[in-house]
Amino acid sequence: MLLQLQNIFKWVNSGGQRIFLLKDINLKVKEGEFISIMGPSGSGKSTFLNVIGMLDGFDEGSYDFLDESVHQLKEKHRAKLYKEYIGFVFQQYHLLDDLTVQENLEMPLLYKKLKGAERKAMVADMLDRFNIVGKKDLFPAQLSGGQQQLVGIARALISSPKLLLADEPTGNLNSKQGEEIMELFKQLNEEGVTIIQVTHSEKNAAYGKRIINLLDGRMI
Amino acid sequence: MFKNYLKIAWRNLMKRKIFTAINILGLAIGFGSSILIYLFLSHHLSYDNFHENSDRIYRFVTEEHRDNIDYEATVPPAFANEFRQNYNYAEKVAKLAIWENTQLDFELNQQKIQVKEDMLFAEADFFEIFNYPLKEHISTRSLEEPNTAYVTVDMAQKLFGNSNPLGQTMRLDNMETIEVIGVLENFPRATMLEEGLIISFETLKKLDDFAGTEVWTGMTTSLECFALLKPNQDVDAIETALLELPKKHRSTSKNRHEYQLQPLADVHFNPLYGGVDPTLLWAFGIIGLFLISIGCINFINISTAQAFYRSKEIGIRKVLGSFKNHLFWQFLSETFVISVFALGIGVIFASLMLPSFNSLFQTELYMESLLSVQFFGFVALLLILISFLSGSYPGILMSRIVPVLALKGKLNHNDTGGSSTRKVLVVAQFAISIILIAATLVISRQIDYAINTDLGFDKESIVMVKIPKELEAVQLESLTNRLDYISGVEDVTACLSSPGGSENRWGTGVKYHNRPEYEEFSMQVKLADLNYLNTFDLELVAGRNYFKADSITEVLVNEKFGKKIGVNNPEELLGKKFEANGGYVKASIVGVVKDFHDGDFTQEISPIFMAQNPQWYDEIALKINTQNISTTLTQIKGTWKDTFKDYIYEYNFLDDRVEEQYEEEQRYLSLSKIFSALAILIGCLGIYGLILFYVGQRTKEIGIRKVLGSGVANILALFTADFFKLILIAGVFATPISWYLMEQWLQGYTYRTEIHWWIFAVAILSIMTITLITISYQTIKAAITNPIKSLRTE
Ligand SMILES: Nc1ncnc2c1ncn2[C@@H]1O[C@H](COP(=O)(O)OP(=O)(O)O)[C@@H](O)[C@H]1O
Ligand SMILES: [Mg+2]
Repeated sequence: MLLQLQNIFKWVNSGGQRIFLLKDINLKVKEGEFISIMGPSGSGKSTFLNVIGMLDGFDEGSYDFLDESVHQLKEKHRAKLYKEYIGFVFQQYHLLDDLTVQENLEMPLLYKKLKGAERKAMVADMLDRFNIVGKKDLFPAQLSGGQQQLVGIARALISSPKLLLADEPTGNLNSKQGEEIMELFKQLNEEGVTIIQVTHSEKNAAYGKRIINLLDGRMI
Repeated sequence: MFKNYLKIAWRNLMKRKIFTAINILGLAIGFGSSILIYLFLSHHLSYDNFHENSDRIYRFVTEEHRDNIDYEATVPPAFANEFRQNYNYAEKVAKLAIWENTQLDFELNQQKIQVKEDMLFAEADFFEIFNYPLKEHISTRSLEEPNTAYVTVDMAQKLFGNSNPLGQTMRLDNMETIEVIGVLENFPRATMLEEGLIISFETLKKLDDFAGTEVWTGMTTSLECFALLKPNQDVDAIETALLELPKKHRSTSKNRHEYQLQPLADVHFNPLYGGVDPTLLWAFGIIGLFLISIGCINFINISTAQAFYRSKEIGIRKVLGSFKNHLFWQFLSETFVISVFALGIGVIFASLMLPSFNSLFQTELYMESLLSVQFFGFVALLLILISFLSGSYPGILMSRIVPVLALKGKLNHNDTGGSSTRKVLVVAQFAISIILIAATLVISRQIDYAINTDLGFDKESIVMVKIPKELEAVQLESLTNRLDYISGVEDVTACLSSPGGSENRWGTGVKYHNRPEYEEFSMQVKLADLNYLNTFDLELVAGRNYFKADSITEVLVNEKFGKKIGVNNPEELLGKKFEANGGYVKASIVGVVKDFHDGDFTQEISPIFMAQNPQWYDEIALKINTQNISTTLTQIKGTWKDTFKDYIYEYNFLDDRVEEQYEEEQRYLSLSKIFSALAILIGCLGIYGLILFYVGQRTKEIGIRKVLGSGVANILALFTADFFKLILIAGVFATPISWYLMEQWLQGYTYRTEIHWWIFAVAILSIMTITLITISYQTIKAAITNPIKSLRTE
């Protein structure tokens, strides 16, 4: 078991009223799964993903990740956990504009205190695997959206996470670029990476082996 | 990791060039000033620290106890020999006497040369106590002999060019011939000796100078006396033992001396005895801190204001594995990069400013003295301090940013925080500027007051000319008559010194009427001929001027004298017996002169008496007509030269002398002017940065307001009002602080201006004006932009 969410509730208080963002979420994810989360805009998909990714907290329920109770961990430990095991891919790519492709890839490794030579080897490896060696010295603004997202995914994978969380990874891409990304996800999944993605498109969702539908913060 | 931080820091800085420039410039000015201040302070702190036995070297000083206590950095001339012979505390004792601006005549390559120099007379042991090494000397000769002298390498060059200085002879003041028997290495810059010509003390005795006598009854500040004590002496015990000396030698004097030992380290820093005022050094240090803080404040304000724009980057970094402390250090390295640049530019600033700084403070500071371990330590400390001071708060704010919010773009400017801190810091900046402006105003008003108040005597168009040697009374009278004959000269008087603005102060005890004892207080003596009152326009309030006589039978006193002895009606003083100078003067009072300021405004008007005694006259004062001044001056010189053929003619104007009394204040004034200008400049840079940010933040609001019909003036007012509020708050804090500080400063003056509320109003208003100018360009630019444009971008 990779992770397990039980009776998760999340809410915000606004004007004396409690607004639920997530209601009674229950989810088990085994290693090697590929899950697609679908739902209308505002249904809580991103919130759900952020809770899984431990970027955001929740108010009720329990969450176990690799047999550790996330809800009982201190913030610092939780951060350590997600930094080690989880990679993130965003709709807006969120590359650092001031860094080249190569430097963007290298950044997560820096925070892991890896040696220079080791970092170089891993970056070279990724560049090669994603076929972007020629782009390594370019800045994000010089790349197309699809290429940027490739870099984003490469960056998410470079520290070999067990789990890849992707929030509408193809949302800003045209359908051909989107398809390429999905093919890539499929391939990664076959190599053993667990993937949870949020998507609006039925076609993309179909790449997942399991589909979860959200409505108003509730799984249906 | 650090390399990576630096790389990213560099790119971030290049991306926001204007803000980077503002930050660097502000800090650079702070650094530059700090370097100058460092040079200045380390120069002063290194004074005379090179003498091997400096912890055992002392100067003898005197406390004069009368109705008040005066502190003099000298002892009676006979003190040194008595201390040498009758006490066993010291290894060496040496006397030192200074003669300023004295004429030297010598021949060099068949050419007659006449110059004026400052010089010292020193006992040979002086060079045993202090470490001023000889470079070369005539080994058979010594400074024990009369008519011998040492010169420094520089002085030798100045006097004799490339000729060998050893064996050169010079006429000193047309009286004695001295021979150069040694060449001293140039003195270190930070030492009490400034005079490059040192003559044997024995010579002074032949010159009939008071400092060369063996008397206990008086003192002259031109004499100093030093001792190298034996190891492990108890200074307090020595001072107690010395208490018997006045009893033995001055038992009848109302001026009770107490002799004390001043450690060498204190000599340069004790203003009581003519040292520099440590307050000046403190003021420097604090102002340096001020300037640096203003630079840091700019940095903090701009960085925290910018935090919003970096929130996305920070969010990404956090998601990708950065911890809070990573981000903190990353930001600190950016600060460090900026500080290093600022330091480089600061060093350039400092070296460009150094010449003007030196001429302002009459120092000879050199950038080379920066090549020392201490300086590198200082700079390293400053760099670290500034990086932390300005980097840590923004660093903390940024590392606190919550990544989910940042990535969702849900943060607004207030969430990144720091807006109230910014306000506090801007208030602090304004307050510093207001304090400095107010200080500048108060100092300049005090100087103005001291120079332009009616001093009780006429100082305009009065020329003072020295009498270089003693003349027979008749000769002197003939000279003054001839001078009076010059058409541009209205009045002439020969005198010991001018009523005020003179360093030639002579105090003495006094016995009044039939009182049995001498008075507690001392009187100032103004010896002069009958024309003194006319020439200086001194006013008689009772009686008459003295008549011409060969000896002192009649004196004039001032009103203050009456107050001191408790006689308030001047008429009552007339005809009373008057004895002074231990019976040398025995006369009756024939007139009372209205009080005039004989000293500067830090000193109270002294009780004064005036009498005639041509033997003591030192200078001639000429009241001249303001037309054809240069012709008149030439004629005066000609007439003077007829009498004093072998002497160099020199003159000065009395009003200049009066102003020179306030050189120190003038220096304070320049200091506060320069530093307020710098503070304001750095502050303006910061304000400019902030307004750029505010305008950027509120473009949409400006657009909406414009669509709703608001004009450029309204929008300018919108931004101005915010700043003006802060300035007013700053004013509320700054006013009492600077009022208090300046009141303290003014306490040093017996006669002082008042501090008015409007001084602070002016300071606050000028800051407002400057701020308005600073913000108006960006604001107006934003206000005249087509509102549709700014609305569309949202
Ligand atoms: N911190 C928050 N405070 C208040 N409302 C929030 C917060 N986070 C999300 N929401 C609201 O919760 C709902 C779900 O948001 P989100 O998870 O982003 O939806 P989705 O990704 O499915 O479009 C939205 O209506 C959003 O406005
Ligand atoms: Mg979403």
